[in-house]
Amino acid sequence: MSPTLPIPVVQLLQVVTIAAAAPGVSGVISRVEARLQGRTGPRVLQPYFDLAKLFRKEALAPIGSSWVFLAAPLGAMTCYLTVPLLIPVLTTFGLPLGYMGDILGGGFILSLASFLVAVAALDSGSPYAQLGASRAKTFGAITEPVVLFVVFTVALVTGTDLPYALAATVRSSAGQIIRPAHLLAAAALFMVILYETGRIPVETHTGTNEFGMIEEARPFEHSGPYFALLKWGSAMKQLILFTILLNVFVAPWGLAATPSLVSVLLAIAALVGKAAVLGVVVAVIDNSFAKLRLFKITEFAAGAFLLAVLGVFTLYLGGG
Amino acid sequence: MSGVVAATVAAPSALSGGANVIAVGVLLAEFGMFRQALLRDQVRLYAVQSALISVLAVVVAATRHLPDLYALAALSFALKTVIVPIVLRRMLRGIGAIGGDPRWSDIAGSHALSVASAVLIAIAVAAFGFFTVAALGLTSPVLPDTALSISVAVVLVSFVLMIVRRDVISQAIGFLSLENGVSLTALVVAAGLPLILEIAFLFDLLVAVVVFGLLIRVHHGRAESMSTAELTSLQG
Repeated sequence: MSPTLPIPVVQLLQVVTIAAAAPGVSGVISRVEARLQGRTGPRVLQPYFDLAKLFRKEALAPIGSSWVFLAAPLGAMTCYLTVPLLIPVLTTFGLPLGYMGDILGGGFILSLASFLVAVAALDSGSPYAQLGASRAKTFGAITEPVVLFVVFTVALVTGTDLPYALAATVRSSAGQIIRPAHLLAAAALFMVILYETGRIPVETHTGTNEFGMIEEARPFEHSGPYFALLKWGSAMKQLILFTILLNVFVAPWGLAATPSLVSVLLAIAALVGKAAVLGVVVAVIDNSFAKLRLFKITEFAAGAFLLAVLGVFTLYLGGG
Repeated sequence: MSGVVAATVAAPSALSGGANVIAVGVLLAEFGMFRQALLRDQVRLYAVQSALISVLAVVVAATRHLPDLYALAALSFALKTVIVPIVLRRMLRGIGAIGGDPRWSDIAGSHALSVASAVLIAIAVAAFGFFTVAALGLTSPVLPDTALSISVAVVLVSFVLMIVRRDVISQAIGFLSLENGVSLTALVVAAGLPLILEIAFLFDLLVAVVVFGLLIRVHHGRAESMSTAELTSLQG
């Protein structure tokens, strides 16, 4: 009989798990990607060292920038720390704060973070950062309908749009997994995640400076602890999106059904393991496809939209 | 604590779920034809789409105990997945990327609209197909109704494909994939159709392929391109 954790501690552990594991998942992806290209690549723990280094450095702000420039990384980080309260990170049962918001609520908070970063990029006055911010908003606007249709699919399947409910539905039977609506919605969400995390069909993730940059260009002018917060935040956003895909859509197994210490620890290990496997998939995609030209990204978004819309169609006719 | 039990929609059975997934795969292959840039990829995508229909025929044969359908599936696989692509590739040899004017070697620039707009229009047309069939209230004893709606959507989307792509290959493939949509419809509403009729349809298709191959060669010989954009005047 293992000791039982108090519920608030489990709730806190959701946030801590995401925050602590996020740089590691980024490290796994860049390591696997390098191995696939025949390079040795950085250590898996390298992102942690990078963050530690950046936190010790001096912070500078461009001349003429306002307080928004320095406040935005903190605001964005706050958003990324809030979302793990709303989604099933570790438990199958809803935690008390888990009902503060549904999938749309979580989506709004993630968009708020992205908005804050974009505003800071505009405030910096640097053309590169402004370019990245405006592109991120432009393409964000065309991936938004995809997310909405994925939410519609979830709502039609479960009668609600709480992520916990969909995870429970997917666990309930194999028939829920092979229905086309579920597969289409999961595939559409995966494509959106590739866009949102700046992966290869949309953007190269290696940090080189080039004209095709979108997400990577935005924190160009930030430095020191503020840059560290932005990097950490984007790693957390990636792990949050991975968690939504894994624990809600694709593989909602291995979550803790009770707040006992052992099962929560197992759930943490399962989440990190699943995220690492998904990271390997992302790294393989990174190495298998060419980057799309900027004006071809609409084709990518149209493909994702097609999948999400077909999911809703099949459900509406009762067969999905 | 476990207040997450929701009013879930009953899951479809594994059979109808799987059949719908295959039907959706056929429709997605049709959408994929909007984007293919190489002649041989376009033919290959048609072969994949035909193979999916054969798989669906096998599924129906196994679950509904219609042994005729095994023969149909095998024949349709042999014809549409193996022979038609080979015949097309033979007839178009020398027109493709090898030899010929490299400007016209492939079909990448033949979009009348951007791919994204074409896909959005096709989604709207597919939606029309979906909801009209739903309104008709047709039901099928062998496959879920959704598969019927999807097959009608395949037919309509293949019309859009033929309209928005201005190269002879995509238009021929669009016509052939239209036949795939019709096969899918036939599988849903008339799985027990006499085998001889189905075989007659399939060999009709082979004739169509040969005719298309000849027309494409003639067109390429005259216009020195795959594009139909120059076909603007009638000749007596």
